[in-house]
Amino acid sequence: MTKEQVLDGLKEVIAVIRPNTDLTHVTYETELVRELGIDSLTMMLLALATEEKFGMRFPDGQALPVTVGEVCDTVLNARA
Amino acid sequence: MMTNEEYFHSMLPKEEFERIPYLPTMGQFVNWFTREYADMPALSDTVNTFTYAQLGQRVARRRAFIEGLGLPKGAHIAIFDRNSQDAIELFLAVTSAGYVAMNFPASLPEMAVIGSCMKFDIAAIFVREEFMPLTAKLQGVKVLPAASIAETEAPAADIDPDSPAAIFFTGGTTGQPKGAVLSHRALMRGNYNAIFKPGKVIGQHRYIAILPLSHVFGLIAGTMGCFYTGNLLFTCEDMKATIGKFPMLKPTLLVIVPGICDILSGLVKMYGPQFLGGNLRMIISGAANVPPRLVDIFTKLGVEFCFGYGLTETANLTSANADAVTHPTSIGRIYPGQETKVVDGELWVKGDNVFSGYYKDPVRTAEALTEDGWLRTGDLVRFDEEGYLYITGRIKNLIILSNGENVSPESLEEPFYADPCVRDAMVKEDELNGSQVIAVEILPFMPAFDGKPWEAVEAYMNALVAKINATLPSTHQIRKVTVRTEDFKRTGSMKVARV
Repeated sequence: MTKEQVLDGLKEVIAVIRPNTDLTHVTYETELVRELGIDSLTMMLLALATEEKFGMRFPDGQALPVTVGEVCDTVLNARA
Repeated sequence: MMTNEEYFHSMLPKEEFERIPYLPTMGQFVNWFTREYADMPALSDTVNTFTYAQLGQRVARRRAFIEGLGLPKGAHIAIFDRNSQDAIELFLAVTSAGYVAMNFPASLPEMAVIGSCMKFDIAAIFVREEFMPLTAKLQGVKVLPAASIAETEAPAADIDPDSPAAIFFTGGTTGQPKGAVLSHRALMRGNYNAIFKPGKVIGQHRYIAILPLSHVFGLIAGTMGCFYTGNLLFTCEDMKATIGKFPMLKPTLLVIVPGICDILSGLVKMYGPQFLGGNLRMIISGAANVPPRLVDIFTKLGVEFCFGYGLTETANLTSANADAVTHPTSIGRIYPGQETKVVDGELWVKGDNVFSGYYKDPVRTAEALTEDGWLRTGDLVRFDEEGYLYITGRIKNLIILSNGENVSPESLEEPFYADPCVRDAMVKEDELNGSQVIAVEILPFMPAFDGKPWEAVEAYMNALVAKINATLPSTHQIRKVTVRTEDFKRTGSMKVARV
């Protein structure tokens, strides 16, 4: 799976959890909290939905991702 | 018309209602459920599952350990843990042994742990292993592993129902946290009222302790109400991991807040209702307004929605609504054991469940409690002719108009929440061309617009405001409309933060 494919999948998740987001502006650099308004509870939904979508688990104790790109990298690493 | 007592009592089958007594102390409660439900499963972390008899025995061994510390009865003992088996057993043991329990939130930072131990005169603290470093600088407090348990057993203490059972943090999101003291009688009235839900309740449900035990709603409705009705409770040491395990845990009843309902509805939307485990029958939601769209989603899945209202100061449970479909905007009927009156629009409550005061804070206690025991809730309410209660606002949020009239922003927000195209709305005071006006900020529910251009969303919202204004006196009409593209700032329980 390529990073681009992961980004496309994440955009589908973001479309549900943050329905007001203009997805054309979501890139690897987009910040989850500052730009997408994702708070701690929504971060949990993002993580759960991402785990389910990509069949992976976020490692315990890891620092919270800041950007969409960091979520993509975590998904790719977990699936590697 | 049914009285409130009749309304709640009629929810349970008669034989179940008659089987469950109101007990005024935690000691009597633990002894009772240990015997009454002895062979039924009580508490599970998915690895170990204990029956009520085994839970009672473990609580007795915890009591023996606590008594071995040599503290005077009534000493304050903190529990600093996640929602683990240790934390639940410790709360039952501390209170049933005649000490006063205080559950510290798992997210408490080091300085707040130290400050809270000093402020609330904590004599001993049971600590989860991973939190131990946060207690390293504590002085004059016995620091003990949360897993501590003796080999021997100690019986429950003979407790005065009016003596303190637990202290709860409240109002801690801004400024100094207060500690609301609940007596055994108050806590037990809350626990008892938590038995009332529609249908058979004894041994019918699988609960998950998903909300923090430091909060009365998580502790009373989510945990003690489970034990009072002989149901099985799963621990939850990590909310995200636990939700991910729903397909395995197959909960039948969830005690949650709307923010978590939103998460679950998002997951159901993406991955189907099987994500909830396939057995969910009831959601009990509190702590914030439940948008009708969430009630709709879950009702269509066959899940019954009950919501309620309460404060830390009323042992959580003041009213509950089991008729979400017929009375969707009401917070329900008043639970038994309380008197209520409405004074200048504000709800006042008196009864067994009312707290004893804020710990060592006579000024704020006197602000909240009248001399003859009435609690001023700070909430503006109205009752309908059937006795259903509606919150119309918070006193502290009132907007004072230039003509001196008061208007509650929450009452103006209500019609917005009822619109399926609105995700959230906040009414506030603002300025327009130098004049004071009532303004609204609306966050649209974009899926309802099905890809229509932004101009259409704005036009819809302006038309909605015009429609709502047409029902209002001119002084209450909304003069400024902002349609938000970004989410509101939110509190920990996902409520829109009023700024």
